[in-house]
Amino acid sequence: MTASAETAALDIRGLSKAYRIGHVRPTRKPALVDLTLSVSAGEVFGYLGPNGSGKTTTLKILTGLVFPDAGSATMLGSPLGDRAGRQRLGFLPENPNFYDYLTPREYLDYAGRLFGLDKAQRQGRARELLEKVGLTAFADVALRRFSKGMLQRMGLAQALVNSPDLVFLDEPMSGLDPIGRRLVREMILDLKAAGKTVFFSTHILSDAETLCDRVALMRAGRLVAVGRLSDILHIDVTHMEILVTGIPESALDALPPGSEKRRTMGERWTLHVPEAQLGAVVQALEKAGGRILSVQPVRQSLEEFFFKEMGTPTKWDLAD
Amino acid sequence: MGPRGLSRILAVAANTFRETIRERVLYNLLFFALVMTVCGLLLGQISIRQDEKIIKDIALAAMDLFGTAIAVFVGVGLVSKEIERRSLYPLMAKPVTRDEFLLGKFAGLSFTLLVNVMVMAAGLYLTLLLTGRPLDLRLLAAVFPIFLSLVLTVAVVLLFSILFTSTALAAFASLILVVAGRFSDVIRNMKEVAPGAPAWLIQGLYYALPNYRNFDFKDRVVYGDPVSTGDLGWVTVYAAVYVALVLGIALAAFRRREFV
Repeated sequence: MTASAETAALDIRGLSKAYRIGHVRPTRKPALVDLTLSVSAGEVFGYLGPNGSGKTTTLKILTGLVFPDAGSATMLGSPLGDRAGRQRLGFLPENPNFYDYLTPREYLDYAGRLFGLDKAQRQGRARELLEKVGLTAFADVALRRFSKGMLQRMGLAQALVNSPDLVFLDEPMSGLDPIGRRLVREMILDLKAAGKTVFFSTHILSDAETLCDRVALMRAGRLVAVGRLSDILHIDVTHMEILVTGIPESALDALPPGSEKRRTMGERWTLHVPEAQLGAVVQALEKAGGRILSVQPVRQSLEEFFFKEMGTPTKWDLAD
Repeated sequence: MGPRGLSRILAVAANTFRETIRERVLYNLLFFALVMTVCGLLLGQISIRQDEKIIKDIALAAMDLFGTAIAVFVGVGLVSKEIERRSLYPLMAKPVTRDEFLLGKFAGLSFTLLVNVMVMAAGLYLTLLLTGRPLDLRLLAAVFPIFLSLVLTVAVVLLFSILFTSTALAAFASLILVVAGRFSDVIRNMKEVAPGAPAWLIQGLYYALPNYRNFDFKDRVVYGDPVSTGDLGWVTVYAAVYVALVLGIALAAFRRREFV
């Protein structure tokens, strides 16, 4: 599903970028090739791909850090680089770094000034955001003393200083401990609940699975797939998963063809059986004295899709 | 540029001022400048009748020398450090243009240098006061051009820090230019030393390089020669035009710069 240009918070058309490599005999290495995609207002959109797949280049183009060789994009209806668009934009770069001589409160005040917020607004936003990212106790500590995770939280706070309608987050979970990651997930869900659009790049697939309405999958600068996770992953349920206990292994020998069995824990077995045979298998299991703990459809995970469609795990930097 | 643009430039300038006054290098240089002034004071005490001139000479020279060092060594990191540490990245997505950002950086460091020059001038007057010498307000006719030359140096350093990816190279090129600009007479008379050098090259270099000698009113002031308002007006116009040209090139280069 693609959002129409009218309702799109982000509309990218044929964006391409190549970087010059080498000095003696320079060549151009494509980093992004003819990218076209739209993100609807209010969506949480996951931008997925391994290192070097063009995710950061896309975000750098959208935030004005590099210039595209071809193509165009509009953000909230404004063309690339337009001030009106940037007024409503929030951006967390990958591995963010800030002025180490400032404190978080001072930095947020500075960021607020660039958005034209008055003093009372800046103070209010700084207080609110520092509370939200759990840095209130460090509000007046110089940023040079911050750990990577604390800088990441600071990055999130500064990205939201203007209450943006469109938020770009480049690897927002990077460097965060489990508590920090949960905080980011909650913040993304809060933004969605407030009707904001979130476009975030990640290679942590479980986060994308949990948070995203739609995802785009990138490989070597090219868009491989885009859509709802349920569209991209194979959701035609051909098999069902049954978790059963209290049954001897011999009773599982008569499972229908195409089934699989796996001992999971103690006396528990996980069975994958063809959907059409579910009723018969359940009956047979109960007859043999088994207790069925759960029955659910077998769905391909995003990670399985990645490995299957895009390469082997060794080629990927799949954190988590 | 509207009032909002100006307000963003001032925000960047205020932050740059805060950055520079929190830089250790600044305090090191200020410390050495004060040491040099005290040395002048001591030298003055052992030089019969020349004491006042020596104090003024050394204090003005310290103001010029250390001001230049601050302009180069603090200025060279203003933009390049931002790129290197990626602290520029979140800012470029905010509604501040690259022009506003660079002009803010320029204004912020220029203001730092103004404060430095004022502090050092106050130190000079305090020295004169404590040693019972007259407070010669004409000294300001030498101090003001020193400040103008420092502003010009900031513009040059910003340009080089954008053109070169290496901070060390940018600092080196800036120092070469500042030194060459102080010996512009040597360049003009190069024909006598190197008769083979093409005249157009010598002329071109002479006019292209900033002529720092234009800003040197120290001897005239110390020795009591008159400095007219016209002289100061001319050097102000010279600085304004040169700074505008250099900043114009720096802005054009910065607009095209990619942060890969």
